[in-house]
Amino acid sequence: MAGPSSLRGRQSFARVDFGQRPGEVPARVCFHMALVTTAAVVLHAFKYSESSKIVRLATEDVGVQSAVAKGAMRPKSKFGARLQVLSGGVAEMYMKPNRDLHTLAAFDVTRQRSELAGDVERYVTATALAELILRLAPAEPNPTVYHYLVAMLDDLVAVDRVNLEPFGLAALWGAVGILGFAPALDGCACDGRRLPDGAAKFSIADGGFLCQTCAATSTSATTLQKQDRQTLEKLVSGNIDDIAPIPPRHAAAHRRLIVRFAECHMNEDLELKALSMWERMWSDT
Amino acid sequence: MSAIDELCSELAKLPGIGRKTATRLTYFLLKQPPDEVVRLAAAIRSVSERIRPCSVCGNLGETDPCLICEDPRRDKELLCVVEEASDIGAIERTGEYRGLYHVLGGHLSPLDGIGPEDLRIEGLRARVANGCEVREVILATNPSMEGEVTATYVRGVLENAGVQVTRIALGLPVGGDLEYADGVTIAQALAARREMPR
Repeated sequence: MAGPSSLRGRQSFARVDFGQRPGEVPARVCFHMALVTTAAVVLHAFKYSESSKIVRLATEDVGVQSAVAKGAMRPKSKFGARLQVLSGGVAEMYMKPNRDLHTLAAFDVTRQRSELAGDVERYVTATALAELILRLAPAEPNPTVYHYLVAMLDDLVAVDRVNLEPFGLAALWGAVGILGFAPALDGCACDGRRLPDGAAKFSIADGGFLCQTCAATSTSATTLQKQDRQTLEKLVSGNIDDIAPIPPRHAAAHRRLIVRFAECHMNEDLELKALSMWERMWSDT
Repeated sequence: MSAIDELCSELAKLPGIGRKTATRLTYFLLKQPPDEVVRLAAAIRSVSERIRPCSVCGNLGETDPCLICEDPRRDKELLCVVEEASDIGAIERTGEYRGLYHVLGGHLSPLDGIGPEDLRIEGLRARVANGCEVREVILATNPSMEGEVTATYVRGVLENAGVQVTRIALGLPVGGDLEYADGVTIAQALAARREMPR
């Protein structure tokens, strides 16, 4: 877990000469720019202009934010090798209110997670998780989302190869839940009626399992057998230790389910590219 | 749109050139002798018409196969894998490498939707197929997270190809100062330390 973070507000002043006449008091414009120091994870980084980078950060104190790291591509840049995707550290940003793009002053890496690059499946799972946070987490402070991301990335580095696929499924369902889109598992997604054990209809559009009455009117619900339903419940609760090995065909169905669920509920216009690649990657493996 | 505005907006599309610089360049060109401006236009057109990617390695050149692939003095047992054709120029300038190249055309980047099928990996597999001359494949992708994972993927693809797969070294820059290097680079340099030759 990242160390304590702090918000330090500093008021800056700039003098702007608007061409006043001799003897007039010069115009003085005051703007507020806060230097924010917060624990952060680099979700995405891409080139900007000749030598700079734009980074998308999941932060502990100010939510998901974009910042420009000026001169980050120069050989003698102070950022050096720090701004790597999925790296964790302490970011210092100059933030202006009502701006979408802030200025990154410094980024001190505390955890680089370079191990993820040594395993393609691990890396793609991590980027799929980062994409969910990137696209769906709000720009408001949400430490829970940040801590969840950090914990999952650290666990992803350490998880056994054999458990990597169920771990990925559980981590992605957990992210969906923590972002406020958890599927309804205990009661009907439409009328809240308690569901009996055994096979049940699951509707992506309605956001979970349906009772028999609601399922009869739903056109998109598909049946999940008892074992698949139990597996889904364990994945959503993050309890992967008790999951029996998932047969390949069922695992493919679970992957499809989380991808369609995320696309349906979270992002109608924007394709979740990393998540789609994650689904395809396991199909190819 | 006037001819000046049209040129400004075309120049402003180039990397590192904003609207202001584009306007300055436009007025600079207007002050030049007409034959110099025509030469510049002809050079741009010539690049666009004559430069093509090499069908063997993906390098950019006027011939296909490119001059490097055709050069009989090149060591055909060595194959250096790079992300972009511009990386070849950087390696060639060192004068230390005499093998062949293979340009992937980018790196794996799931967030940008770039997967293995978008890179020239099948072409690499075909070049390194059993029975070919290649003895060693040097993975010279960028030392970034995406470059590393691309190298990992390529290593997996070439696992059973019967060639030695090596990775370029990562660490401190020559002429640099340890005090000013970042922790990640120092850690990488320590991890990749080697015995000093006597």
